[in-house]
Formats: sequence, C-alpha cells, structure tokens
Amino acid sequence: MKALAFHSEKCIGCKLCHLACSAQNEGEFNPRLARLKITSIHNRDGLMVKGQTCDLCLACVEACPEDAIIEKNGRLSFLPELCTDCGICVDICPPQVIVKKSIGVGVCVQCQSCSNWCPTAALTFEEVNK
Amino acid sequence: MAYMDKVLRINLTTGKSTTEPLNKEWAREYLGGKGLSIKYLYEELKPGVDPLSANNKLILMTGPITGTLVPNSGKLAIAAKSPATGTILDCSIGGHFASELKFAGYDAVIIEGKADKPVYLYIEDDKVELRSAATLWGKGAHETEHLLYEELGDVITLAIGQAGENLLTMACISSELYRQAGRGGIGAVMGSKNLKAISVRGTGGIKIPDIRKFSAAMNKIKREDTMTDDNMWAYSDGTPMIVDLSQSTGILPTRNFQEGTFDEYRAINSDAVKSVLKAKKACFACPLACSNYVKMGKTEVEGPEYETLALCGSNCGIGDMEAVIEFNRLCDDHCLDTISAGNTVAFAMEMTEKGIHDFGIRFGEVEKYLTMPTLIATRQGVGADLALGVKKMAEKFGGRDFAMEIKGLEIPGYEPRGSWAMGLAYGTSDRGACHMRAWPAAVEAFGDIDPFTSEGKAELVIGMQDDNSVKFSAIWCDFWAISTERMAEILTLLLGREFTAAELKTTGERIYNLAHLFNEREGFDRKDDYLPARIYNEKLTTGFTAGRSLPKEEYEKMLSEYYKLRGWDENGKITAEKKKALNL
Repeated sequence: MKALAFHSEKCIGCKLCHLACSAQNEGEFNPRLARLKITSIHNRDGLMVKGQTCDLCLACVEACPEDAIIEKNGRLSFLPELCTDCGICVDICPPQVIVKKSIGVGVCVQCQSCSNWCPTAALTFEEVNK
Repeated sequence: MAYMDKVLRINLTTGKSTTEPLNKEWAREYLGGKGLSIKYLYEELKPGVDPLSANNKLILMTGPITGTLVPNSGKLAIAAKSPATGTILDCSIGGHFASELKFAGYDAVIIEGKADKPVYLYIEDDKVELRSAATLWGKGAHETEHLLYEELGDVITLAIGQAGENLLTMACISSELYRQAGRGGIGAVMGSKNLKAISVRGTGGIKIPDIRKFSAAMNKIKREDTMTDDNMWAYSDGTPMIVDLSQSTGILPTRNFQEGTFDEYRAINSDAVKSVLKAKKACFACPLACSNYVKMGKTEVEGPEYETLALCGSNCGIGDMEAVIEFNRLCDDHCLDTISAGNTVAFAMEMTEKGIHDFGIRFGEVEKYLTMPTLIATRQGVGADLALGVKKMAEKFGGRDFAMEIKGLEIPGYEPRGSWAMGLAYGTSDRGACHMRAWPAAVEAFGDIDPFTSEGKAELVIGMQDDNSVKFSAIWCDFWAISTERMAEILTLLLGREFTAAELKTTGERIYNLAHLFNEREGFDRKDDYLPARIYNEKLTTGFTAGRSLPKEEYEKMLSEYYKLRGWDENGKITAEKKKALNL
C-alpha cells in the first residue's frame, strides 16, 4: 500500500504542504486545517524538524464506533452522515493528523496535494509496510 | 479575500486596542507592505517627529499575497520613521510572522504611543493583550523568544534584544532567532515604546474564489518560473555565493573599504559555509530556502548571509568562519544589524590603526572582535562609543573621510568604486545606504554592463527601485527574480481585477516617490544624497578594481540625470507635475 512519507533531512519548513492541503480539502489557506503537521523551529537544542503524516495505520478506522471512517482502495473516506462528533479518532490517531472541525473531522485522503507541492521531496507518496 | 480588510491599532500609552477597515483606496494605489505602510506613516506622522518619541508609529504590514500559496510570499514589512537617518524606514523580515498575522485576521498592526513599563503584545485572533515584559527586559531576543514559546505555545514572535532596549540606531528586530528586520534602527523604535516583543497566533484562514484553480496555477508557476536556474542559487548556496563574485570583481569590502579584495576570502566564502552546513531553511511559502543553518565548534546560526560575511568578515579583516558565525549569532541575539555593526567595528579598527582615536581594536583581532556585539548593544566600555554608529563616531572622534555611511546608515557589502550604479543606488535609496532598493551590482559588476561608467546608470537604478517597490509591497521576497508581468498575472488571479505590468510600474514609481516625499518633508535634498569621501577620492589598489575610484563629478552627473529622469528638480525635489501625474 502506498502512503505519505516524511523525510526530515530534506524539509525546509516552508509550510507549502499545509497550504496545499487546506486549499484542496478545506477550500481555504489555513495551515491549522491541514491534515498533516510539519514543524520546523529553532528551540533551545537547535533546529528541530518534525513531520506528522497519515501513514494509513488505520487506527481511526478500527476505533470509530460508527464506521464513519472507512478505508477503500488505500484511501480513507469520511462519511459525515454517520459521525457523532465523539472525537475518538482525533484522540487516537497516532500521528495526530485528524483535524477536528466545527462539525465532523478532516482525515488525510492521500490526495498528494502536499507531496505535489513539496519543493524538496521531503514529502513523498511511497510504499509503506502494511 | 486576499485582503483581510482589518487593521489593528494599539495605543501603548492608553493600553487600548481598536480595529478599523483597511483603507481600500490606499491599498489600490500602494498594494500593501512597503507602499501601504509608508502611506499610513506619511498621512499620520507629523513632520519633524522625534523617531524615538511616543509620537513615532511602528507599522507591521502584510500584503495581498501574504498567507497564500503564491511562491516567496512570506515577508512582512515593518516601518517607522528611522532613528538612524531621520528618513522613512521600511524593513522587510522573513520567517512566518506575516502569514500568522494574516491568519489572525489582520492586514496590519499600527502601534502608537509608549507604554510606561516594559510590555509585550499578545495577539491570538480577536484576543489582543498587552502583558508585562518585566521578566523579559534585559534579555536577548533568543531567550525572549524561547520563554514566550514556552509560555504561549506555538506562537510566532518579533522581539528586540538589548540593542533595541538601549535605543541603538543599529538595533534590529528578530524573529525565529535568525530572521531580522535589520536596518535603520527599527528595533530602537520598539525599544523606545517599551515594547519588548509581539507574539501572534492566528487560527483563521484566507478564502479566495476558485482556490483550487488558483493553487494549480501557482504550482505551475512555482515549477516553471520560481524553481529555475535563475533562482536555485538560493537553495544550492544562498547569499554566501556572492563572496567569490565580489572577490573576483574587486568589490568585496575589505578593512573598512580600504580595498575591494580580501586575501583570506576562501575562509569566508560559500564553500566554507557549505562545509559546516547542517540544514537548509525557508520562510513561509518559499520553495527556494536560501537560509543555511550551520554549526561550527560551539556555535551555530542560521546564516551567515553575504552581508555578514562581507561587513563582519573581510571588512573587519576577519578570515575566520567560526568567529564570523559567533559574531553573527551574538548580533542576532542582541539585535544588532550586522551591516551596521560590521561597519562600525571596522571604522573603529581603522581609527585605531591610523592613530586618530584608540578604540583598542585593530583589524583581524578575533578575540576583541568577539567581545564587541555585547559591549556595543549594552553600551559598556568602548561599546558606548561604538554604539553611536559610524556617522556620529566620525563627528565625535574624526575620520570623516572614511566614515562609510550615507544619511547615517552604514554601507552594505558592494564597493561602489567597482560598481558605479551601486553608488547611485546607495545615494538615492530612501533609507540611507541600502542595497535592497536597487541592486545593480547583479548586472554591472557581476553582469555585462560596464561598471566604470556613469552612462545609462540612472535609468538602470530607477527601473530597479520602482520594480522592487512593487515587490516589497505585494510582498514578494527579493530572491525570486520575478518579472513585473508575472507579478501582474498573479495579482490579477488573486484579486480578481486586471493588473498590467504598466500599471504596476506606475505603482512602483508612486511608492518610491511617496517615500521620497516623506524625506523631502523632513528636509532632505541633494546635499544628503552624497557618497563617502573615500569613494570619490581614494583609488583601490588590488584586484579587478585596482586604480579605480568613483570621481565626484561622475557621481554628480549620474545624480543629475537620475533627478531629471525621475521628474525631480536639480535639488532633488519632486516637481509639481510629477506629483500630479502620480496622484501624490
């Protein structure tokens, strides 16, 4: 199965991935609505680069009590009509990339907007061991 | 929409904050960034205002492209009347502050008055608070940013260090440790207001029509016009690449501009930077990532940029990369502009060597050199004298003939005797000696245009100044060599009204003229558009520029032609016809 992968040594911290994701999936430029989290900051220990992306672990699919998140052909789908806003998926997601919205959640659908925009191939869409 | 249509106005004297709509008419004529912040200052500041008084204003201004997927749109303009020069002052700072401010819902922040005690400003969307900075005052910008991040979480911060608190005219504003609004004492304006820092968190978004179509168009432009051979030097090398270019063309400032080549240039060139490179780093929405995060010995910095390598390296006779990196880090932490600090230390070194005044430091003395940033920023010992900056040091101690400043601002890293248009660019810059209003060295010393003639230079400099005025107002970063046509195309797509390259050129001209009008109102004219005597009278002796000066009569010729082409009179005043044509 193919999914997003993050290569921290190549990341320049430009956040174009956040913008590309939110534009594609939420219809606005808003980094905090992106279904991935890339951090690149100077803290007391020096430059810290961290990437959180959906690797299709399917923990959300298993955890959702209403089957509102399903996996089909290597992609997650969110079914808003089934969601009860319980928030379990948001809490359980290992990379913490499910976005809580005013109604329902946003899950990564592996649309690859982020990796298509990434200028340094720090984000790639590649085979993962599943 | 691309504009948030909201300006946040904070009065530090009363502690009150209000919001108001962005002046749309002005935004149409001045875009944002540089142009729009200058317009607000021109309209709101009384002539003759003391830059370090409560009556000066500090403006943070984004632009219409800020916060979007437009490549290289991460910059913020910070503007005020300059304490270093008395001119208008707009700086641009990279990093992630500009976009964050826009996501918080604001195009701009206008800061007025003066707090009675040290404060910092915290903005989280609609929540705006002035909080005590008692525990932050006296600390460097780096520690200040760390403490605010630890207290507030994922905010982006603008902070001043000791130099800003102590009102140095070379004090800058830092963000994300290593990004600076560097020049003209913008950090002292913050310090004079008792404002230690501004932290922002924005959780909102920017909505534009047809956002997916717009994004696809930007991705194509990014691939085909931004990430091209013309611009990828930023990623492969960054600005340190210029060291070798300057050395080979004889315009690398060396030992306070006594020479244009430096024997030890290999110790401070791009290869030397690459040998200690740990990571590349970008500003928000920038695919070019010019920044080099380096570590060497016990020190680290995001940098050093060319200007630092030149002014704090060769110009101080320092051929030692680790020393330059540490000097750079100290300047960033204390918030000293490295161009002005490097020049100031170099001036003190020459004064000492020539026996005019003993500042206790000579060229190449690494250990003493590394004590300078702290001494200067805190005005301790000899630092109290160096804190004056080059112009005032020369007035007090002598050495006027080799005081490398214009209008009180120290000269950047391109020797004008080997790039005559650079001299004109410095002399006619709206904020004193600056290489960012126009950078003709690129096509002159580093290009095909004869650097040692006054012919055609006025037109060259004017074109660059006007183009950059648009760029810095939208706001694009300097490092994408974007055409005016491309700017018009993107603004048309983003704002949904037709922009043309011709219209933008007029916009650029209007912005540059407004900046000049501000300075005119402050009493500036031809007498202030000088170059240091050294440039006119002393010939360089080494390398490609050996035997070269920029004779005063040649400079004056360029200047007269420049005024004429600008539609200004012989004394450098904008004519009534030109004002009318530009709707000034």
